[in-house]
Amino acid sequence: MLGFAKGLGYTLKKLSEKKVTHSYPDVPYPMPPRFRGIQHFSPEKCIVCNQCARICPTQCIQLTGKPHPDPEKKGKIIDTYDINFEICILCDLCTEVCPTEAIVMTNNFELAAYSRDELYKDLKWLDDNNTNVREEN
Amino acid sequence: MQMRTEPTALSTTISPDTGIRTEEMLLNVGPQHPSTHGVFRLIVKIDGETITEANPVIGYLHRGTEKLAEDLNYTQIIPYTDRLDYVSAMTNNYVLCHAVETMMGLEIPERAEFLRLIAMELNRIASHLVWWGTYLLDIGAMSPFLYAFRDREMILDLFNELCGARMTFNYMRIGGVKWDAPPGWIDKVKEFVQYMKKQLPSYHNLVTGNEIFINRLKGIGKFDAQTALDYSLSGVMLRCTGIRWDLRKDEPYCIYDRFDFDVPVATEGDCMARYLLRMAEIEQSLRILEQALEQFPSEGEIMGKVPRVIRPPVGETFVRIEAPRGEIGVYIASQGKDKPWRLKFRRPSFNNLQILPELLKGENIANMVAILGSIDIVLGEVDA
Ligand code: SF4
Ligand code: SF4
Repeated sequence: MLGFAKGLGYTLKKLSEKKVTHSYPDVPYPMPPRFRGIQHFSPEKCIVCNQCARICPTQCIQLTGKPHPDPEKKGKIIDTYDINFEICILCDLCTEVCPTEAIVMTNNFELAAYSRDELYKDLKWLDDNNTNVREEN
Repeated sequence: MQMRTEPTALSTTISPDTGIRTEEMLLNVGPQHPSTHGVFRLIVKIDGETITEANPVIGYLHRGTEKLAEDLNYTQIIPYTDRLDYVSAMTNNYVLCHAVETMMGLEIPERAEFLRLIAMELNRIASHLVWWGTYLLDIGAMSPFLYAFRDREMILDLFNELCGARMTFNYMRIGGVKWDAPPGWIDKVKEFVQYMKKQLPSYHNLVTGNEIFINRLKGIGKFDAQTALDYSLSGVMLRCTGIRWDLRKDEPYCIYDRFDFDVPVATEGDCMARYLLRMAEIEQSLRILEQALEQFPSEGEIMGKVPRVIRPPVGETFVRIEAPRGEIGVYIASQGKDKPWRLKFRRPSFNNLQILPELLKGENIANMVAILGSIDIVLGEVDA
């Protein structure tokens, strides 16, 4: 019976201690700076190099470019940029390879949606998702 | 050893004394059963309360990782390894990087090796804590689970600060690690190690001495060293039979040879021995961590010199390391391309699970969960 009583004693002792639970979502849960939530995309920075789409292990990035509107300038600018967030595994590789930091991570993680279609994030959505952007990518 | 997925016919007996007819019964456990910690099905044939045959059915979580890997370059495979043994993703990250680095003969900077080792040992503790909590839950004790997850949460928070994810880290890269330790992180780990050292005795107070618990585990699920070798078991499943074999000591990788630690061994080969060994391993991991944190280099590179495109030379290699569940290995056959020609994971959970039908035979049905839990499987790894 001794071992049993010891265990019970430990439980009783813990009764008076401070709670370790967090009343989420009433109190927001802060995430550390490196946390990977969902990406933010800045179209003006993108040079349409395709590296992010190529490194993505689940092939969830689709992008197209168009010629630069200013005929003087060479290169392309981004036309469409979609992330299929249904299959994004937040591996962080796209943000790692992007040479211009056009695609970066944010700290936003409350991403539940009612329909699967809502998980297709297009250029506008990703551009507007500009809060809690991660500094180091 | 006979592999069967379909149970044999049920037998009927008529008692000569009473004339009462009794029949064996099939009981389907899972695939959605809390004690399997994933999706695992077990078809057991029972005669009264005695198990006469057990047929595991696996594959519900099969994603074909090995085949998928043939279409991915080496860096892209790392996040997939996170999803094998998701309770201990750091060791999986490491074993893949280690295999590619071995093939290419890459030098890993010292600081990166330290970060890897610290991450792996923290993950071993986190993994054993998950096991401890859920195992006790299986046995019927609710509160240890809460204590275990409270402490594991601290490790996950440390990982979250280190690499931005709590379970699927994708932290290691071929040639090093992605992130250096953030400012103050090493001190936080030091604090955690001290905290955990104080916490361990209370775990023993809470559970280990409990008479009900001891009675449920002592002498249950017993096997000997020869059986363990025949089934190619590893990790605690092997060490509980008296064989001292730990790759961190016997085939040192990373920088394990620099630290002083013991390999806990037991000879009983039962569930209780496995329980005590895992608890002792947490202690040893803390010992390694203490030394590693003391010797942590104050500066240095975290990425070695790695070619831009990773192309291991033509040939094949197999490396193995000690994961919390046993030996995890990676076999790579390369044809000199940026993608493997063939990649195979030796997953300890899969190998360790094979002994289950033998252990269950003749056991009381009430012991089934205690035996299954003591093997410590993660279905993501069993099914790959
Ligand atoms: S974080 Fe998502 S979008 Fe980016 S590479 Fe990984 S899976 Fe693809
Ligand atoms: S890697 Fe960066 S710059 Fe290149 S296409 Fe992707 S977002 Fe644009």
